[in-house]
Amino acid sequence: MPITRIVRNALITALVIAAFIVSLRVTEADFPRLFRDLPKGKDLLTAFLTPDVFTREVETRTISIAFPIPCGSAPTESLLPSDGPRLVPSVNCAAPLETFTLQGFDLQPNSEVVIRWRLPDGRTMTAIRTQTDANGYFTYDVQARPIQSSVDGVPSRLEVDTLTPVGGLKPSQALKDVMDNMFVTIFMALLSTTLATIIAAPLSFLAASNITRKGCVGTVVYYIFRSFFNLMRSYDPLVMATVFGFWLSFGPFPGFLALTVVTIASLGKLFSEAVENIDPGPLEALQATGAPPLHTVRYGVVPQIVPDFISYIIYHWDINVRISTIIGFVGGGGIGYYLNLSINDFKWNQAGTAIWAIVIVVWAMDFLSAEIRKRLT
Amino acid sequence: MLQIQNVSKTYPNGTQALKNVSFDVKDGEFLVVIGLSGSGKSTLLRCINRLIDPTEGKIIWDGVDITAAPPAELRNIRRKIGMVFQQFNLVKRSSVMTNVLSGRLGYVNPWMSLLGIWPAEEKQRALEALGRVGIADKAHNRADALSGGQQQRVGIARALMQDPKLILADEPVASLDPVLSHSILQYLEQLNKEGITVICSLHFLDLVHRYATRVVALKDGVKVFEGTAQEIDRAKFKEIYGEEAQEVRAASL
Repeated sequence: MPITRIVRNALITALVIAAFIVSLRVTEADFPRLFRDLPKGKDLLTAFLTPDVFTREVETRTISIAFPIPCGSAPTESLLPSDGPRLVPSVNCAAPLETFTLQGFDLQPNSEVVIRWRLPDGRTMTAIRTQTDANGYFTYDVQARPIQSSVDGVPSRLEVDTLTPVGGLKPSQALKDVMDNMFVTIFMALLSTTLATIIAAPLSFLAASNITRKGCVGTVVYYIFRSFFNLMRSYDPLVMATVFGFWLSFGPFPGFLALTVVTIASLGKLFSEAVENIDPGPLEALQATGAPPLHTVRYGVVPQIVPDFISYIIYHWDINVRISTIIGFVGGGGIGYYLNLSINDFKWNQAGTAIWAIVIVVWAMDFLSAEIRKRLT
Repeated sequence: MLQIQNVSKTYPNGTQALKNVSFDVKDGEFLVVIGLSGSGKSTLLRCINRLIDPTEGKIIWDGVDITAAPPAELRNIRRKIGMVFQQFNLVKRSSVMTNVLSGRLGYVNPWMSLLGIWPAEEKQRALEALGRVGIADKAHNRADALSGGQQQRVGIARALMQDPKLILADEPVASLDPVLSHSILQYLEQLNKEGITVICSLHFLDLVHRYATRVVALKDGVKVFEGTAQEIDRAKFKEIYGEEAQEVRAASL
């Protein structure tokens, strides 16, 4: 007997180890990469940690000079000022691919500077963004490119914007958009939870054995609703959102419907269990008074389940805010959709704002729902 | 007059709680049912208002066969039968007032009461019922804020709201401190003197002696005694409660 047991145990151990090896393989787990690739993720992390939240009103001052490429194709800037804000190139014309130095003097100190080409046809090419020093000075090595060549005697111009923040901080466009989308998400979750409650609350009584499972008809009704809830619960909200998305095209509405259906099933199940867990005594007492069946439920069951119901509803609102964020990713609208767009556009700071908003809202909802549930007895 | 005729009850799990029990209860009696836990007292009381359907036999009340009543008629019969429970069976989170008013659900407009709206005269009636059991001042407390004795008085007030001709009391004092037993039973006795028939199950024999006009004893679902409390001598006592039983007096506790 001991030998068969040892063999059996060894076999089970081998199977478990094999299962783990397979799991590691299929997930392509490579933990050292977490550290090797850290530099790659650094910029992303930095962007997430510096979300786009506030902006300042910016005053832009632009100065420009004509810069013919190649030399002789157009007249050069005739008179360079010798004081005041001015641009001084090391040469006043250049051949294509030649490099020269552009210096700026007496600009706004410590300001952001945008250097760009204005092509003869009026289009612009941004070269770089840089900063002036405390004296309002910057220097930058520019390479002349063939595309910047003069056309019909009209030269490209070098333009420099100095951006000076004026006035106080104000919410950035990203923050406003994030807040708008967050409201969509929170209210989508609220509306779907509310609608689900309105539908699930009465149905849950039909799926509660102590209320419905009496006689032949009652038992059939009980099993129908019980299995309805169990069946609906087994569909993931994401799958449901995709199905509704294909049906109604993507946007907040199918996301809301998916969330509602899943919440009906989940709340229905929780509600019916709350109904089954009541103290049967008051129900018995009310039956004994000759009260009609609906009234025995209204007076004997409902007061007992109210705290549980409210607790489950708030809990589900909380859950639905999270789920609707994820549903947004598959096109369900709201903050998840916005985050998805930001990431696809490589707008990392904007994505950072969205992520922070999600973290804060989820935390706040979690805290709030826990506090409210604590107070219910 | 309430006639219990050859009533038997077998539960779906095979337990035979009542075996061919028959007796009559005359109007105005204070009938006490005694017997050990599990002897079928609760089942018997619940068969009378059909919270439990008897498997066999008939229960006839003033010529009406309760056991054959269809649902609507059964509700009308139940309206006239108040019930008081060992565990009080109040809705703990509801106010005392709501608990008492709910005894009136068989009478009032069903739509209004479903919305929780009660006529002023019913509220007045509830306050009077609470006044009769001495706790009118607790009307707006939550039921679970009251002590056990007070909760049982709410239970009696709820039964009173039914304007009952019969009160079934299932071990009404078994969950209470023994010293409170008399205060509760005196309310039942008072109602009995006003003409309400009372059928009450009790544990303590001295309480039986004090309140019962007649006694029925059950043992393993069989009626083993019917008569006055004074007729229960030592031999009868041993027969009802078994050889090892010792009499405990509520007053001595």
